[in-house]
Order: sequence, then structure tokens, then C-alpha cells
Amino acid sequence: MKKFLALLLLATVAVAQPSYEAPMPGPPPDTRPDTLRRAYLERVNETLDWYLEAIDPAKPLTREQALVKLVRREDADLASQRILELLAEPQSGDMFWMFPWTAIAFAGRDQLSPEARAAIRDAWRTYFPMRGDTENHWVMYYSSLFLMTELYPGEPGETWFNGKSSAENHAEARDFLLHWMDIATTIGQGEFNATHYIGEYAIPMLYLATWSEDPAMRQRGRMLLDLLMAELADNTLHGVLRGPNARTDDNSVIQRWHALATYFSWTMYGHIPPPPHYGGWGIYFAIAAAHYDPPPLFYRIATDREYDREQHDHKRSRRRWRYSDVEMMPVYKTGYIRRDYAVGSYQGGLSDPIQAHVWDVTWAVPDPRGVHNTIFSTHPLSSSRVLQMYFTEYPDWMIDLLASQGKPSYGVPDKILSCSPYEQVFQDLDTIIALYDIPPGIVHQRINGFFSKDLLDVTEAKSGWIFARGGNTYLAYRPLAPYAWEDLLGYRQLPRTGGSGYVWERFRPEGEVDRILVSPHPQNGTIVQAASADEFASFAAFQAAINALPLAFTLQPTPAVKFTTLRGKQVEFTYGAAPVLDGKPVGYTSWKLFEGPHLNAELGARKITISHGRQHRVLDFNTVTTTDYVTP
Amino acid sequence: MKNFRRLLPMLGLLTAVATATPAYDFYICANINRNYVIGSKIVTTNGIFQRTDAGAWRHFGYNDTSISALAFDPRDRNVIYTATLNGLWRSLDGGKNWRISNGWDMTEGRDVAVDPNAPDHVYLALPDGIAVSTDRAETLVRRENGLPERGKFTQAIKVDRTRAGRVFAGCEVGIFLTEDGAQNWRQVFATKETVNDLQQSPHDPQLWVAATQSAGALISRDGGLKWVRLAGVPTERALYNITFDVTNPARLAIGSWAHGVLTTEDGGATWTSRNAGLPENPRVWRVGVDPEGRLYASVFQETLFHSDDFGRTWQPNDLVGSLVNYFVTLPKAAN
Repeated sequence: MKKFLALLLLATVAVAQPSYEAPMPGPPPDTRPDTLRRAYLERVNETLDWYLEAIDPAKPLTREQALVKLVRREDADLASQRILELLAEPQSGDMFWMFPWTAIAFAGRDQLSPEARAAIRDAWRTYFPMRGDTENHWVMYYSSLFLMTELYPGEPGETWFNGKSSAENHAEARDFLLHWMDIATTIGQGEFNATHYIGEYAIPMLYLATWSEDPAMRQRGRMLLDLLMAELADNTLHGVLRGPNARTDDNSVIQRWHALATYFSWTMYGHIPPPPHYGGWGIYFAIAAAHYDPPPLFYRIATDREYDREQHDHKRSRRRWRYSDVEMMPVYKTGYIRRDYAVGSYQGGLSDPIQAHVWDVTWAVPDPRGVHNTIFSTHPLSSSRVLQMYFTEYPDWMIDLLASQGKPSYGVPDKILSCSPYEQVFQDLDTIIALYDIPPGIVHQRINGFFSKDLLDVTEAKSGWIFARGGNTYLAYRPLAPYAWEDLLGYRQLPRTGGSGYVWERFRPEGEVDRILVSPHPQNGTIVQAASADEFASFAAFQAAINALPLAFTLQPTPAVKFTTLRGKQVEFTYGAAPVLDGKPVGYTSWKLFEGPHLNAELGARKITISHGRQHRVLDFNTVTTTDYVTP
Repeated sequence: MKNFRRLLPMLGLLTAVATATPAYDFYICANINRNYVIGSKIVTTNGIFQRTDAGAWRHFGYNDTSISALAFDPRDRNVIYTATLNGLWRSLDGGKNWRISNGWDMTEGRDVAVDPNAPDHVYLALPDGIAVSTDRAETLVRRENGLPERGKFTQAIKVDRTRAGRVFAGCEVGIFLTEDGAQNWRQVFATKETVNDLQQSPHDPQLWVAATQSAGALISRDGGLKWVRLAGVPTERALYNITFDVTNPARLAIGSWAHGVLTTEDGGATWTSRNAGLPENPRVWRVGVDPEGRLYASVFQETLFHSDDFGRTWQPNDLVGSLVNYFVTLPKAAN
């Protein structure tokens, strides 16, 4: 994925990206549906225009530029010629090859030369894409196969790379897609709240909604896209997707704006600048985005932050092949969003082996570009056995392999992107308690707390609390064991000398750097309490209020905390036991698929209600219907 | 080819009378795309390679970085099966055309085996169990009765050449045996972590060996019913595979990322590290022995090495930047 972006950067000349370079967008002149629709299409067209304006007459078109030409119905002859050239070059070996060429096939089906169309069709016979090993891979693979076998129906097995006929491939693709949609709408999505991989789901769903000849699949694609975009709207703080995230990356986890998810926030709702180069993959959404109509209801969910709200969701981990008693761990996700900040978490444990982010407090900022507006802690787990739970590989090479595959931090002790079986988290509103109990022999024996360069007035109080300000948010961070500070180094990609894959070096960023609070104690914990600055007369008053909160804890033999939150809730939380809130054990088993002011669904019901105020949209996957209604 | 199962134990004898033209065919599955990243362009040729009489490696079949195992129909060398990331591929025409046999609900094939006594029967090791075909992989069904609900990650599957339907599976929690074509499985040896490889001796069909992730190397002398640990083989790190030498019943070799190449020349009583001449701290991905007794070691993304003195000295062979996932030796096919 990053490789694509790097290639894209090389392939495009410096052309202005208007919204990326502009000041923070203000509210639209009005929020009537036609106004919102018009603004949405303007943003879509801005993305397309950027690719066309980057065309250098002295250079051949990129694949994306050829695609945009077709979408704009310009220069079909030029695009046809270029497609022939592109298909004559080596291709990528997987589903990342499939969906771009599906888009080209459909966008160009009535424009491309017969030779270009034949070359695309023949590539699906001669080229052997891998199906991959994650859900997003499979969604891309089968959505592409579903559509291409609709474009070329009734053809025998020898005309397809996998030896299966159009009908066989279409049926198999349909079965998988229905299966995936079913589990996503009954027990929750696996790769939930992904800062980047949201694109790998949203793009295939858009393509199904746009191009499928099957009206039910068109409708299902549209409904799944609705669900993805409604969740994005609900989980963003002024357009920024914050944690927890089933998958994110070393950059997006701290500069929360810098993610493909932000491209979708910008395209859908326009209240935040897009990431550079429209997120790389954004173009593959933009080329069909005119076929989607973001409901104004979602706009209101995304932009209305004037009331506090708590949302509980049921998700699931990635599939575990071995070394686990369960195939998929249930994930109980909590989100609490206020105007000035958002607090999010899941209960801890392993949701994804490599890129999961378990909890954070993210605060609102006037302009998120370049700002690291988040605080959290994590156990930097590095474990071949854990990787083997999720991957079918031998044990020894995977940690090295991850670095070469674009995940440079996996094995390093100061990483901040991690989940761990030795972390348990409890959240109530804007209070987080994370406890750690790391057995001997586990790599690494430490806790890393992330402290942004953008925090102000970081104060280590004698009480043991660390206070700080972020935007209009006051933050209190209580490490439960001794600690020291380290500067957080970055990861810089180096040129490779052969083959593919990534080579990295650590480097010290220029200017102010982020810090990590390093606590090298295996029995450990973190308490974070957030509040709006508007709630207190001063920062000192906030500190005084926190210092006065009853807190008792022990770390041996097992970490345990008794804490009265700023909101007056009494929490007792012992590692390995159910949290107790105001004297009652917190049980997760009764959690619904969605429960909150904006999204609601029963577990297993396949029926999601999306709401804002009196407006509602019901996505009923049992009847494949979407119903809008307004309560009186 | 019809008498393949009877020919196999005789490979050692065949090599004893070898002429200038080898009386066998030798295949490997190799990924030669160093550090391949999903999404990057594949600029090399990967997959199945056959060694030519001149000693070169000739690629055939499709270009795939993920082929982990290879099997042939003993009646017809044109019928080929590969276990890959996509599942199970089958060719009926010597690799010209291929078909994926599985549907979406089977993925990441780890190993594949054909029953020499029932050659329509194909066994596929999967990360979530075992699938079987009784019609040359036209169709595949799961047959997992007796495997634990959790713990059936299957890395290796091998058919006992002495009896149809007798198959061993190397799983997450041990070695499992079926004697009825996978209708029922039972555990014959328990492990805490994955059994990575299983092999039946070409010299004595009662003799089986296994390589494991954390239980060392195992041996059975009674047809796989009772297994014991091979003393002298380390257990603290994973062993990736184990192989017999078809020319010498006393010789075996083990490949290991942590230990490199280990060999025995006394039937497993004593083991020797044979890494001199390989790159420093060789991360050995797999070892194999051809029917002339030449030992091969695939060193992780370095190259394929070979040794004509069973590991005492090594020479770089070919396939720079490769991972060899599988070695297969078969009696030479008729032209």
C-alpha cells in the first residue's frame, strides 16, 4: 500500500492540491441535501482534476491517469494505447492488481479500442493473482472477480486464470461476499476503524454498487458502503479518525489526520483537508464516487459534536489459525466523543497481530495537519508465536519480514503501535485504565506511553500524575510504575539495492520531537483522565481536582486499581478480572452490535439503524432494503 | 508410472547403477522474488522448477511466489497438484493449464499428497484442517473427524505408501493418523506446537521421522504408531524439515533457521552441524537430497547450495535470492 503511494509520488509532478493546501474548510453555506451533494461532487472532481493536471506530455500516462481519462471520457485512443503498454509490463502479484484493472475495464468498456479491451480480458486468463491472506485482500479479490465475470459472462474455464468458468467464479465470489457481509453485520467487522484499510473495503463496495448487474449485489454494496461511511462519521473527531483501530500504522497512529480515512472524511463531508495526494488510493474511490450519494444524515453525524455521546460496538479480531482457544476474539469497543476530545478503546488483548491500536485520547485542534494530537500507552509486544497465531508462516523470519513489508516498528522496543495479550483496558466515559501483567521472557518488558510534541504545559506532579494540555482539553496521565523519558525516533525508508521490500533507518525528526514515557516494569498500569478546559476555571484547578480523586493501586502480585473518576464513578479494576463500576461487574457478553445515539443494532440481527436526531436510516440486510424515516 | 509406489523404495538401487542420464526427475518449488511485498510487481519467475539433465533449473507452470508443496499423480506425470496461498491448484496437462480446486472457504494450502495406492485421492493440509478429494481434485471436502476443534492447523500431510487411505498429518498439537482415508483421525503423538514435517523412509516403510517447532525431531519405527524424540537434536528452536537420503538408509538431514543444517550418518544416533561453507549463521529454509545423494540447502533468500559430501563442504548452486519450499524426486517420466 505504501509502495503504491511512493510510486505515485514519483509518477506525478508537483501540481497544486487545492483542498490539501487551503486553510481549514469552514461550514458549507447551507446543509440542504442538494448543496451537500454538489459540494461532494466538487471534491470528487478536485481529485480527478489533480490527476489530469499532473499529466506530463513528455511522459506516458500512469495507470491512474489513463483511468481518469476514461472516466472523463477524454482521449480514449491515448488511454487505449497506454493500457496496452502497461499490460505488457510486469504486474503486481495479487488483488491490488485486480481492482484497478476492474475499474479500467468498466470505465473503458464502451471507449477503449478493441485491442485494449482484448488485452485486459486476456490478462485475466494469463495472469495469476494471489488471493492474499487477510479479509481486505479477499474483499478486493472477490469483488473484482464478481464484476469481471459479469462483464464477461458465459465464458469457459480456460479463459480465466483459475480455470473456473465465468459462472463458477461468479458464484464463488458471490458466496464469499455474502459471507463477509453477513459476519460484518452480525458479529462485526474484523478490520474495524482502519485508518488506511478502510479504502480496501470502501472501494470494492463502491464498485459493486456502481457496476454490478445483480440489483441485490448493487444494493448490498451500497448498504455496506453506507455502514462504513456512517461508522467513519461516528468515529471521527472533526474529520479525524481516532482509536481504537484494528489496523493503523506508525505515522497515522500519532498524526491522526495523516490517513486514507481522512480522504473519505474530506470527500464525504468536506470538513477537513484531505491527506497529501488524496491518500494515494483515494483516486480509485473518486473515479466512481459520483455513483454514491452520501446521505445528509451521515453529514450531520460527522459534523455535530455539540453533545457528548458514548457508543458501544461489537467487533472481532482477525482470524486465528493456531495457538488460540478461539477462532476470533470478540472485541468490545467503546467510543466517547465530546466537542473537544474523543476517548476510545477496546478491552485489550490481541485483535490483530501487527497494526492494532488499543486506546487513546485524541483532542481537537484548529488544524490537524502535522499535529500529533493523541495520548496513549501500550505494551510493545514482539512475538513470533503471536504472529504464528494469525499467519501460516514458520516462526523465525516473520519479525524481519514485517519490516521489509512496510511495518518497520514491529520488533523494536520503543514502538508505539501494538496490542498485547498482556494489556487489559477499561473505559468509562473519559477515563481509561490500562493494566499490564507481562510474564517473564516476553519481549519487551516495558510500557511505552506516547507524549506528543504538541502537548503543552507537561507537568510531572508530586502526586504521581502527569498533567498536560492539548487543544482545549486537559489531560491527566498516571503511570503506575517508575519511568524515564526517551525521544521517539522516526522511521525513514532507504533505497533498496535489489529485489522488493522496504529497508529502514531510524532518524531523529527535525524540530520538536515526540517523547515516550518508558516504564520498564512488567506489572504496570496507566490511568488517563480527560476533561474539557471549559469545565475548570484554570489548568491548576483541573490538576487540583485530579489530585483530589481517590486512587489506590497495587502492582504485585497482580495489578489492581481502585479509582474514583472525575465523573464520580467508582472503578475497581484488577488484571484478569471483570472491571467493577459503581459496585457492579461490567459484563461484555450482553453488548450489541452497535449501541449509541447514532448506530444501533442487535447482535446477529443484520439490521442496523443509523440515526441523528429524528432522522433515521435502516440498513436491513435480511431484506436487502434501505429505509429512511423521520420520527415525528 | 503405474508401479511408482513399488519403484520408490528402489531409488537408491537405481542410483547405484546410474548412468550418464539420471533415472529420476527432480523438482523444487521456489520463490525467487526476494522480499516480495503484496502489491509490488513480480519481476521474477517463481513456482515449479525441474532440474534438467544438464543440471539447470527449468521453470514450468504458472508464476506464483507462494507455492509451498507439489505432488504428482503416480499414473500420469501430467497431473500436478500444488499447495499455494490460493489453496490447491491442479493441472491435467503437465502445467500448461491450471484450475483452483477449492472454493473461497479453503485457503493457504500448506502441503499436498497423493495416495499412491488410490491415486484419485488427494489430501490437502490447511491452516484450519484437512481437505480431501476422491476425484483428482475436481472436488474437495473437509474430513476432520477426530481432529481437535482448535489445534488442527496442519503443516504437513503424508500418505503411507504401503496402504491406501493411511495418512499422517502434522498438526499444531501433534501427529494425527487416519487409516480410512481421512474419515477418522486419531492423535498418535502430542506436541505443544506445530509439527512442521513428516517423512516416510524410502528404505523401510515402517520408519517415519518428523520435524517440529519445539519438540525436536521424532522417529517412529513401527509405522507411525509410537513416536520418540531423536536424542541429540536440539528442541529449543524450530526445525523446518527433515529428509532421508535415498542412497543411504543411515543418512538424514534437518533444515532449521536457527541451527542451519544438521545431519546424521548413523540412522539418527548422533547429529552433526554441517554449516561450514554456508553463509555465516545460515538461516536454512529447507534441505533436500536428490537420488544421487547430493544434499541441498536453501538458505533464506541467499541461494540454493548443494553438497556432494553430505554437508562437509558446500557449493552455491543457483537460484539467487530464493526460498525453496519443497523438493520432490520421482522416477524419470517417459518422454
